[in-house]
Amino acid sequence: MDKTSSIVKIFTRKLFPFILLFGCYLISFGHLSPGGGFQGGVILGSAIILLGLVEGVKVTEKRFGEEFLSLTKNIGMLFFILIGFTGIGLGYFFLSDFLPRGDVGSVPNTGLILFLNLIIGFMVGTGIAVIFYRIVRHGSEE
Amino acid sequence: MNRILAVVILIILGFFLISPLNLDFGHPQLGVSQYYINYGVVDTGASNMVTAIYLNYRAYDTLGEATVFFASALGVFMLLRREEERNSDG
Repeated sequence: MDKTSSIVKIFTRKLFPFILLFGCYLISFGHLSPGGGFQGGVILGSAIILLGLVEGVKVTEKRFGEEFLSLTKNIGMLFFILIGFTGIGLGYFFLSDFLPRGDVGSVPNTGLILFLNLIIGFMVGTGIAVIFYRIVRHGSEE
Repeated sequence: MNRILAVVILIILGFFLISPLNLDFGHPQLGVSQYYINYGVVDTGASNMVTAIYLNYRAYDTLGEATVFFASALGVFMLLRREEERNSDG
């Protein structure tokens, strides 16, 4: 059953937090450098997929449960729409930028862009991981 | 009848083929792109212009994109259920 070589296993374990860190960096610096919510989210999802391919989905699911990932995805979608309606509530249009701005170049300076990037990033990452879980489990059933 | 239809379709396709030849490339008809280039940093504070457009000016489109992704994830969820879930749903 266990055919994965130990080199791949050990390197995946060591690399995994750094891949997550790189994904979070791409998400949080999306408004300053190339990258953004979708790209960083795909990297977060691919880190979980890498762990799932090397360690097996069952081991990965103990750390990143499908319920938790699915909940994160749904809450992200809900927050996106809620932020949009907050703009209306404060007297602007839907999804308008109602937060104050700092200097160009610092990280929390762009109002809503940072938060929307975070929401999209976690949504895409968890969504891709959940899709991967489902497909792998479906394939192993038959 | 089929020949007339073929001629009409040929004329329409020829129109679509020939009309781009008269386009004035490098001089866009809409002025909004130049506005984004000039005032994007001032308006949004984002030095990455792509992000400035897709999360500030066009955030509504991004909401649609996120909805498409969400719907596709839900579709995979529904199609690839576990056996017991499928049975309990009836």
